Amino acid sequence: MKLIRLGRQKLKFEIGEEEKELLFQVLLFYPLVPATHHRLNQDRRIPDPNGNQQLLESALRDQQQENRALLAKLLKQPRRFTQSEGGYYVSFSRPEVEWLLQVLNDVRVGSWLALGSPLHQLEIQKGMSKPKAQKILAMDIAGYFQMAFLQALQKYSPTMND
Amino acid sequence: MAMPETLPDIKKETRPDSTTSLEPGYLVICWDDPVNLMDYVTHVFQVVFGWHRQKAETHMLEVHETGRSVLLREGMEKAEFYVHQLHKYNLHATLERDAS
Repeated sequence: MKLIRLGRQKLKFEIGEEEKELLFQVLLFYPLVPATHHRLNQDRRIPDPNGNQQLLESALRDQQQENRALLAKLLKQPRRFTQSEGGYYVSFSRPEVEWLLQVLNDVRVGSWLALGSPLHQLEIQKGMSKPKAQKILAMDIAGYFQMAFLQALQKYSPTMND
Repeated sequence: MAMPETLPDIKKETRPDSTTSLEPGYLVICWDDPVNLMDYVTHVFQVVFGWHRQKAETHMLEVHETGRSVLLREGMEKAEFYVHQLHKYNLHATLERDAS
């Protein structure tokens, strides 16, 4: 995925046909991180820790639902992707890039949790079970697209125009 | 890293900090994990706290090298808000009451 144009509001990329397929496949895994995964604190001196934890989990579940709806909308917009010589052109607004980063990271972290939170990077090996290999692949692909978006955002200068 | 200065024997004055005198302070702490990408963590700190890149990177490196970084000290509500924001991005963050 290659950044073509970077504006104040939108980022335009060129994405290969296979890359597009991989992006769609990996986004379809969302959400993977359970809302109960995050702990607000382990400090007993904090008032009402259970109540606050429940509020946090409820807010995270709401956010996952909202993201899922946005994602479904994005994946059903064929006009967003227009044919290019090397594949497709696609534009995302800055808020869309922001939530795509969150969604991709959910897939990356959720796959990692499902793999048992390994301390070192796992590699696909011969004889490995298909679900395990799929999770390793999902982690790598999500990370690849995260880096593409992050590198694009780092090039942003406030003086740029759309 | 800067070394501590040797100061004359002066008794340290208790600072009448408004946050400490009215309510306990709470620390927003981010913890290291082997899954979040370093660039991603830097980006999240920039977005959530509005920090410039250099400050965000300094905290990201502290997380990476020492296992954790205290990002902010705030009142309970604000600290909770920030921890929640970090969780939205799937960073490992917690809230602790400031013992100091």
